[in-house]
Amino acid sequence: MAELLQFVITGITVGMVYALIALGFVLVWKSSGVANLALGQLVLISSWFTYGMLVQAGLPLWLGLLLVILFALALGWVIERFILRPLIAQPILSLITVTLGLAFFIEGAVSFIWPKSVAALPRLFPQQPVHIGTAVVSQEYLWAAAISLILFGLLSLYFRYHKMGIAMRATADDQRAVQACGIPVTKIFSMSWMLACALAAIGGVLMSCIGGITFGLVHTGLKAFSVVILGGLNSFLGAIIAGPIIGLAENLGGGYLTPLTWPGVREVIPFIIIIIVMFLKPYGLFGEVRIERI
Amino acid sequence: MLKLNNIEVAYLNVIRVLHGVSLNVEDGSIVALLGANGAGKSTTLKAISGLLHVEEGEVTDGSIEWNGERMDNKSAEEIGKLGIIQALEGRRVFGHLTTEENLLVGAYHRKDRHTVKEDLKMVYDYFPRLKELRHNTAGYLSGGEQQMLVIGRAMMAAPKLMMLDEPSLGLAPLLVEEIYNIIQRFNTEHKTSVLLVEQNVRIALSIAHYGYVVENGRVVLDGSADFLKNNEDVKEFYMGLSTVGTKKSYREVKHYKRRKRWL
Repeated sequence: MAELLQFVITGITVGMVYALIALGFVLVWKSSGVANLALGQLVLISSWFTYGMLVQAGLPLWLGLLLVILFALALGWVIERFILRPLIAQPILSLITVTLGLAFFIEGAVSFIWPKSVAALPRLFPQQPVHIGTAVVSQEYLWAAAISLILFGLLSLYFRYHKMGIAMRATADDQRAVQACGIPVTKIFSMSWMLACALAAIGGVLMSCIGGITFGLVHTGLKAFSVVILGGLNSFLGAIIAGPIIGLAENLGGGYLTPLTWPGVREVIPFIIIIIVMFLKPYGLFGEVRIERI
Repeated sequence: MLKLNNIEVAYLNVIRVLHGVSLNVEDGSIVALLGANGAGKSTTLKAISGLLHVEEGEVTDGSIEWNGERMDNKSAEEIGKLGIIQALEGRRVFGHLTTEENLLVGAYHRKDRHTVKEDLKMVYDYFPRLKELRHNTAGYLSGGEQQMLVIGRAMMAAPKLMMLDEPSLGLAPLLVEEIYNIIQRFNTEHKTSVLLVEQNVRIALSIAHYGYVVENGRVVLDGSADFLKNNEDVKEFYMGLSTVGTKKSYREVKHYKRRKRWL
């Protein structure tokens, strides 16, 4: 029983980080209709960049993390401005394919700049583990969950009340009508990419605090995909709820099935969930069903 | 004042849609652009609002001037900032946003929150129905309510020139009349120029000061609303009246008695 609580807590907290990364995907999807396949690679590069800043350059924590966020925002801006914007008005498939190309490019760049396979960030959070009931949880998990929750809150306020946030949602609905209102959609696209990259960076830092920096961080992107598909491609709420579900499934399934089946079964579980969801509820749990008036 | 000088528009560099359209919209006036399907009315509006660029269309000849300044190569955002706002054809509301959020999107460019709030009140004053529905999802509003929302959204931008593309499309006659009254009231109370694209000639001419008839990408006839209303050709071909002003009978084999004088 002790392990159950352990699995549940780690599952939910890790799931919230997945949800955070997934929000970046939803953001870009909603505003521009582009599926960002480079999600995991964005997580990867910003984690390694954090390593570069904090360990290799030895910057103080606040400055290093600030630079990471700035780097992510700049990366998002550059990606939108120079890779996606020239393709506006092209078939959507080429926009999606270009993100795939971007993914390979980033992966290559990362292994070129940081040829090491494993690294660790300095400890950002206090060391001693916390006892919750029978479970012993290291503080990283709890901080990750708290930070994700705060960001969810801020983002939902942003989308509900800030005019840029509202305009982003409007763009998701009808791009042409937004232009007719005189709103620069290109600015909205670049805003959504910048936010997506920043979220990926924060998610990356949190993940690498938990599990260290490895090439495996790319898979975080894949798990964020399963979150997005379970929650619904265009639903923020869906991502927030589906994140912990995927995290739970992964940890519970991994914890209890590994002894019975084969090691690494936990990595498969999110994808099994995707397949089941696609069969039963293709829009996802909270996906926007197209509103049609008859 | 908006001035179109003999503009030509081609899509994809091949398909020429407008073959020289000239028109003026005086400040504070309502101008109607009339014509059948495919005449080039909507294209004219898109040429003005800069939306052609995203549809692979281009103004290949002529010029568009706003208060004496050329604007035919400006982007849609810049034109929007000038105060020229287009409400697209077919009630394009933001379906997943609430009514109020839709209206706020219209006011995106405006910095002063206080006046935006006042204008929100003003729009609710013009369309009391929208106030009741302000927290409802716009996608589920009725057709007439959506049309009101689209016009209200254009009003929220505090436009100097409001371009409306077929506000009567698919609405019940009573509702059309209501919406047109509101457009007229807005025009007289705020001195906003209105460029109106319409197939419903009768209702458009009832509020317009001046009108242009467009056919096959050309302006074939223009004049004051009274002139157009009494023009025999307009009566015959756009209002379904015969020369004597009585209702036309389609029972007779040859129900048309005239040839268009402008051909």
